[in-house]
Amino acid sequence: MFWHNVKYSWKVLFHNRVLLFWTFLFPILLGTFFKMAFSDIEKKESLDIISVAVVRSSDYENNVVMKEALTQLSIEGENQLFDIIYSSEEEATQQLQDGDIEGYFKFVDDQVQIVVNQSGIDGTIMRFVIDEINGRKKIIESLVEQQIQDRIHEGNWDGIMEPIIEEVKNNVLQSKANIKDASSSNMSYTMIEYYTLIAMACLYSSMIAMFITNYKLANMKAVGKRIVVSPSHKISGLFGSFVASYLVGAIGLFLLFLYTIFVLKVDYGNRLWPVILIACIGLIAGQMLGLSVAALIKSNENTKTGVLVALSMFGSFLSGMMGITMKYVIDTNLPILNLVNPVAMITDGLYSLYYYESFSRYSFDLLSLILFSLLMIIVSFRGLRRQQYDSI
Amino acid sequence: MTVFKTFWQIIKRYKMMILLYTFLLLLFGGLNMKTNDTSLNFVDSKPDIMMIHEDEAIGITKSLIDYMSLHANVSIVSEMSEEIDDALFYRQFNYVIFIPKNYRSDVLNGLKPSITVKSTGDYQASLASMLLDRFLKTQEAFVDSKLSEQEILKAIDDALQDRTEVVVTSKLDMNELSQVTQYFNFASYTLMATIIFIICLVLSSFHEEKVKNRILVSKMSYRVHNRLILMASFGYMLFVFLLFLLFGFLLFGFSLLTWRGFFYFCNAFFFLFVSLTLAILISNLVQKKEAVSGIVNVIALGSAFLCGAFVPVEWLPSSVLKIAHVLPTYWYIQGNEFLKTAEKLQISELGPLAQNMFFLVLFGIGFLGLNLLLLRMKQKRNG
Amino acid sequence: MEKIVEVKNLTKEYKTLKAINDLSFEVKKGEILGLLGPNGSGKSTTINCLLSLLNFQHGSIKIWDKEMRPDAYDIKAKIGVIFQEVAVFEELNVYDNINYFCGLYITDKNLRQIYVEEAIDFVGLQDFKKFYPKQLSGGLLRRLNIACGIAHKPELIFFDEPTVAVDPQSRNSILDGIKRLREQGATIVYTTHYMEEVEILCDRIIILDKGRILAQGTCDQLKELTKIEEKITVEVSDFPQKLIDEIQTFSNVLQVRYENNHCVIIYKKGKNNLEEFIDYLKHHHIIYHKIFSERPTLNDVFLELTGKELRD
Repeated sequence: MFWHNVKYSWKVLFHNRVLLFWTFLFPILLGTFFKMAFSDIEKKESLDIISVAVVRSSDYENNVVMKEALTQLSIEGENQLFDIIYSSEEEATQQLQDGDIEGYFKFVDDQVQIVVNQSGIDGTIMRFVIDEINGRKKIIESLVEQQIQDRIHEGNWDGIMEPIIEEVKNNVLQSKANIKDASSSNMSYTMIEYYTLIAMACLYSSMIAMFITNYKLANMKAVGKRIVVSPSHKISGLFGSFVASYLVGAIGLFLLFLYTIFVLKVDYGNRLWPVILIACIGLIAGQMLGLSVAALIKSNENTKTGVLVALSMFGSFLSGMMGITMKYVIDTNLPILNLVNPVAMITDGLYSLYYYESFSRYSFDLLSLILFSLLMIIVSFRGLRRQQYDSI
Repeated sequence: MTVFKTFWQIIKRYKMMILLYTFLLLLFGGLNMKTNDTSLNFVDSKPDIMMIHEDEAIGITKSLIDYMSLHANVSIVSEMSEEIDDALFYRQFNYVIFIPKNYRSDVLNGLKPSITVKSTGDYQASLASMLLDRFLKTQEAFVDSKLSEQEILKAIDDALQDRTEVVVTSKLDMNELSQVTQYFNFASYTLMATIIFIICLVLSSFHEEKVKNRILVSKMSYRVHNRLILMASFGYMLFVFLLFLLFGFLLFGFSLLTWRGFFYFCNAFFFLFVSLTLAILISNLVQKKEAVSGIVNVIALGSAFLCGAFVPVEWLPSSVLKIAHVLPTYWYIQGNEFLKTAEKLQISELGPLAQNMFFLVLFGIGFLGLNLLLLRMKQKRNG
Repeated sequence: MEKIVEVKNLTKEYKTLKAINDLSFEVKKGEILGLLGPNGSGKSTTINCLLSLLNFQHGSIKIWDKEMRPDAYDIKAKIGVIFQEVAVFEELNVYDNINYFCGLYITDKNLRQIYVEEAIDFVGLQDFKKFYPKQLSGGLLRRLNIACGIAHKPELIFFDEPTVAVDPQSRNSILDGIKRLREQGATIVYTTHYMEEVEILCDRIIILDKGRILAQGTCDQLKELTKIEEKITVEVSDFPQKLIDEIQTFSNVLQVRYENNHCVIIYKKGKNNLEEFIDYLKHHHIIYHKIFSERPTLNDVFLELTGKELRD
């Protein structure tokens, strides 16, 4: 009897093309859109080589320090910062207006002027570079002066400056700041998008559960009456349809995982089994939500679908699908919302697996999902196992 | 008149859907309304830095904090925590600097203590790292000399003081214009989705076999009836446009009462027209009502993602933008982007905008043509 | 005869409305019991209470001498139900639908296969096995609905208005089917608001109105409840008032009406009323176009009991 129910629930679900679209195809399409839209964001966010112009003038030619430094910074390689073109002032102005360059350097006497179209990071970096070169010059000057003073003081000043300058210059240019970079290598925040996608797919499978459960409830569908007046046990029938809808959801999720891993190259960190575990539990949470919407909301299927889509989408929105910052805003300002939002639990679980070493946050998310599922079952249990009604 | 009435009655049944998309439009429009200082003078970009120091904030340590605070937005705490890691991941900070205990004394004793950092690796983080690097190198240069701490601090201060002049040429208020552009760009999704969704549902009600036959046997000629339905659809489009106009003024006030604002709305109007023609085409292609919401989501979401409605155009990969050329949304958004940066709005300068609008109209005509072709084919098959 | 169903003092109330009011009746083995009543008279509610789909405030329901409860699975196993609305899966074809519902009763796969085929033959859907409900016409859909309810060969079958909105041909085939089911030994409870169906089909009839039993018995027994013996209608263009008054005074006449060129005479008793009346007309040289006699219908019974028509 149980397998009879599983088999036919499976058949019913696989014949509903609209449901199949939402569970199988839609997440994959959405993921593809994400990939296309976000694939360059992080690359473009990092420091690019800035296109600048230098206005040709005798003042520039004469400013040896600046000339040398700028040339150094435009040599192709790891330390390249600028892509320099040399132009007249009119050309530079035109290039700036056309957006060919981010700004230009103009040399007047020994002063440098920077011209940009608007305030921004490129201008800031251009200013920083000039400031640093000037500052370095100052350091060298002041250190050389001090060395000479020291030598005069010590009585061994021979009047020859070049070697001192050379030594100081070498020291200053070769000095290295003692910085230890402890950045996590998993900093790709667009991953969150894909995590919300997995979470959304889990929640969308609530539609399958709702749809198939509706058929088992006498107060929702005529077929439900037929099932209730039959000698088959209600809970066993419900369990059978749950198993079928879970399997369908799991297949959808499996395809989505395959697609995101092999086609979209999504990085789930290096702990695959916990990732799969939380997705499976998340799928249960989604299906339980569907079950309770089926049992608790007495309305037609379209309304119930509407409620589920709205809940899933709003949950996804709060966990950062439409803008990753949203998740952080909720995490820090309204963490209580995360305790009722299964999308956030799944997303956060995947995030903590990706970003953190410890399992504590992941375990908390996992536990929240289980509690959420239990809660859904408890609130809808009466409606689900019910066989006798006040009115139909 | 009855046709119009029926049309509106069907539309009323979907008012929740219209409300939902309107809400989305306002939400996203509103979310982007962060008011920054707008200034025509050059303003440095300041990275957001979190500094954690276990050392006392005096001497060299204080000097470091002061320097970073001058060039960045610095928050200071005394302990590392998971919240900081989260904040870094979600780009609330670009850079975290960890100053260890006894930093000042270790530096003065020539021990070269290390400073631990965490970085998001983005543009701002690079700037932060350059700032830190500069300070540490400067400090390094003077610590080796036989100066007292006081003298070292003064020397560092001197060396870091220079500020080069920066001239800004643009006279546009970029801040407000980017907000306006974002509002219009995002609207490409909500406008297209509402138009296609509602028009398809309503028209498919009219196309249903039984209803269609009833219309065919009625006194009104089918052609006249069709024309009336098209007019009603156009009326609905105008309604959406007016709503959109209203929200625009609500969000941005009178700053849209300019020629620039006029062109923004013009562009939007053309885009709505294309959406309408696309909706009519889809309604003839798709027979099943249940399929409509799937199709709408794929078309509207896909266009929005690929053309830069959600992600700024300049951040999209060029290959994606190339594909996007075949979507009307691309031309609409390009029009908005042009309006964002165009310095002057003289007729002679409006070429690119006119070109974008021309492509929109072309799309509209194309969709209508396809629709006509489809209807012909259907007629042939039936008759 | 063996009692299959025994209902005692059944009362079902919705907030203020008494849907069923102190209902008591029995269903005997092998009979077709008709529940006749207008829409809203409580027929479906009664069936749903019998099936334990609805709870009720008072009374008891025993089926096969056992109390009927939601978990009385041994009873449910021997019951078949054909609901008023078509209760099938849109997503399953004809064969799968019947097989699924049959599978809720019959676990043996081979036996089930035979049963499903028999049910398909029984309702005449052999050519539509692979069709989905959407592809079936209204009448065929009704037949599928019936097949789903009877495939497991139940001993007690409830038909809840199975012929609503069905074309005459399908209706006849459905009614034939029900008779055949009875011949195969099933006991049947049949609800409808079409009195013709009850008259040709049912062994015993219960007339319901506003949740109460107005009358019960065989068709003939019920008709005896009315004072009418015979109704003669004659189409005549001119009928003198004098004659009307005279007919009124006959001892076996209950009532005479003349309107729209039709004269209706309702007799209380008498065996040769038509013959005598024709003689009477000849005697008075009345030229008539058409004349016919009717026995009382259940509608007349209902009319007399409630003062309103069954068909309203």
